[in-house]
Amino acid sequence: MKQLVKLELYKIFRRPRTYIAFGVIAAVTLIIEAALYADGNSFIQFALASVTEQFDLQGNIINGYLVTYIVLQSLIVNIPLLVALVAGDAIAGEANNGTLRLLLTKPITRAKLVWAKFLASVVYTLLLLLWLAIVSLGLSLLIFGTGDLINMKSDAMVLLLKDDVPWRYLAAFGFAALAMTSVAALSVLLSVFAENSIGPIVSTMGVILFFTIITNLGLPSFEVIKPYLMTTHMIAWKGFFNDPVPYGAILKSALVLTAYIFGFVLTTIIVFSKKDIKT
Amino acid sequence: MIALLWGSVAAGAQSLSAEELFYGMRDKLEQVHDYVAEVKMKINISFMRVPVLHGKLYFKSPDKMKLERNGGISILPKKSISLTLNNLVPGGEATVIDAGRQIINGKSLRVIKVIPDSDQTDIVLTKIWVDEQRLLAIRTETTTRDNGTVTMDLKFGKYAALALPDEVIFYVDVKEFKVPKGVAMDYDPQAETRPVEASATGKPRKGTIKISYLSYEINKGLDDRIFTSEKN
Amino acid sequence: MKPVISAKNLTKSFKEFKAVDDLSFSIEQGSVYGFLGENGAGKSTTMRMLLGLIRPDAGQVFIKGREFTSRRRYLLKYVGAIIERPDLYGFLSGWDNLRMMALLSRKPIRRKQLYEVLELVGLRGREQDKVKDYSQGMKQRLGIAIALVHEPDLLILDEPTNGLDPQGIAEMRSLILKLSREHQKTILVSSHLLYEIEQIATQMLIIHRGKKVIEGNVAELLDPKETLFDIRMEPDDMVLRSLRESRWQPYVAEAGQGMLTMKMHPRQMPELNRWLVHQHAAILEIRSRHSLEAYFLSLTHEAAR
Repeated sequence: MKQLVKLELYKIFRRPRTYIAFGVIAAVTLIIEAALYADGNSFIQFALASVTEQFDLQGNIINGYLVTYIVLQSLIVNIPLLVALVAGDAIAGEANNGTLRLLLTKPITRAKLVWAKFLASVVYTLLLLLWLAIVSLGLSLLIFGTGDLINMKSDAMVLLLKDDVPWRYLAAFGFAALAMTSVAALSVLLSVFAENSIGPIVSTMGVILFFTIITNLGLPSFEVIKPYLMTTHMIAWKGFFNDPVPYGAILKSALVLTAYIFGFVLTTIIVFSKKDIKT
Repeated sequence: MIALLWGSVAAGAQSLSAEELFYGMRDKLEQVHDYVAEVKMKINISFMRVPVLHGKLYFKSPDKMKLERNGGISILPKKSISLTLNNLVPGGEATVIDAGRQIINGKSLRVIKVIPDSDQTDIVLTKIWVDEQRLLAIRTETTTRDNGTVTMDLKFGKYAALALPDEVIFYVDVKEFKVPKGVAMDYDPQAETRPVEASATGKPRKGTIKISYLSYEINKGLDDRIFTSEKN
Repeated sequence: MKPVISAKNLTKSFKEFKAVDDLSFSIEQGSVYGFLGENGAGKSTTMRMLLGLIRPDAGQVFIKGREFTSRRRYLLKYVGAIIERPDLYGFLSGWDNLRMMALLSRKPIRRKQLYEVLELVGLRGREQDKVKDYSQGMKQRLGIAIALVHEPDLLILDEPTNGLDPQGIAEMRSLILKLSREHQKTILVSSHLLYEIEQIATQMLIIHRGKKVIEGNVAELLDPKETLFDIRMEPDDMVLRSLRESRWQPYVAEAGQGMLTMKMHPRQMPELNRWLVHQHAAILEIRSRHSLEAYFLSLTHEAAR
């Protein structure tokens, strides 16, 4: 199994397309960082208008922690696309290439192949998040320094003391890893049904987008299904920047996502094991 | 004997006029030209979830103030409704009106109203509850031109002789909280279960800011530059 | 002799279309088994069922006498295969492709073996090139190297000469013969061209529309006595009449205006030729073909119609 995962990783990281995602993350992060470096004050004035109207806020407001939060806020929506870029290709890409039938004439079970592909996608996802942490958190701290984190929520401004922030990022990235793993699992599942890799990438984004819209619409008829959608729970990493941290809700979200992950992987195995390989 | 007698008279009713009380109190305040205090600040406003902030509060007469938080972010109410009594009691000539007595926290206090003669100041009217014996303002209610009404409760201890409080609680009116679209960074799993605050929206809400002064360094001659540095 | 692989009553439909219909056959140790049928006859589907890529609706596959589906992982060690095109990882070198697939074969394979198999297929020296830069023939040979690397007893090659140039086809043919003769592999090879099968196979099966048409020994099926000669000549009723009255009469397969078809051993041809010349027949052309080919062509034409 280890061998199989290693081979899948080898295939993933020998392909140029894999590095697109890393490049995109670096580019977007750098652009946001540059923009905030140049024009952060007016953004802050705009964002904090409701507070600064009545209070004087002074100090290093645009610090590395806030910049990271802004970067994550705007980038995390797009990470699923980058995850799908590789995970959605896991089976469909090989089917499209014709290499799938080569693989499947080797003495390995299809279930193991699915696990290997899923785990390799997870490793890729984790590396992607690690990279995101390095360029967002690492670079932002280098450029903007540390400071207290102001988190603007729609009903309140939350101020987190700077020594109280690092563990939250650790926890948030940990949670994001779980959330993105669920995206990877979804992509791998969709990958079984397709014979080209564009399909699963687009449909993964479609599903995420659709659920996100439902989550955000707030229509009463959707409220019933909302607690069951994965997108509702994928943003729970933000909970770590609340005060107090809603541990109960985050734990629930983590459990729902874990259930989704296993559900997706097992469905993938069942479907894939029954599938006739015609490509 | 006479002094004793005078003292008992002073403790009795109406021994000092409202004006005497006000100027006496202000003279006491004016002993302090500047100070640096170690403070602990607790903000209790519905839309601000801020932990207790520790920091150094710099003050220089007549109206310079700064909270320094060792690299952290400092939050202070807008300058015109400054945090120290020194700023809330009008300077210069003023008309002082006696407004009788009131019992607060079991203590009988003189109430005076002060109206600045100059119309250049932001303060329109200050109502002060005075502890006659100690010549200390226990509560003030200042009406400003632009920033509404600020009420302030003060508790004195070690530094009572210099009219510097150990604890101040501000009651401030806060306006509605609005975040531009796209700025809010929300995750609200309990949105449904949170009490609805709809009734409060639109109307001004009350908030408090409690500052505990842990220690003072008084009249060390602070440089003005301390207050102007760090523009952020 | 015990068959290396056998199929019993394999049946598979895709929606309404019956791709393989109750097909049974078995392949004996050491034989080169030709699997012939026009495109779409069900060859690929059958081969995929043999490898577990497609699940049969009915029927079973046995490898070395053991039922395949339940022991797929174990039995695949004995099989190497190329199905249709030899699709490989183009972004990797030939060596990386080979090494990776070797690692998946659940057998310890030494570096030396990898070089040996590259040598065998004639790719030694080109193994570090990226596969996307390989010619079709090189890809095909790398595919065979991958199929061979874990030293299977049985090779399943689906249309191995497809897309190759004439030289590539010749090379592939000699490679298959070499694998059979020098390396004692049992080989199942499919083609839609009879003459390819004819040149390499010892046994042969023709399928048509998913059904078995003919199975047997190639030497017997391609008996020279069954050779057909198409003789084109100037129309001449006299010649035809004399032919019917002569001893050549039993060999006439078809006689028409300007075209005569005879079925006989090629050894008899010179004599017939002399006889025709003696009858003053104006012969324009003589072409030989095997009756099986004619039969197979008729199947193909029927399918085309």
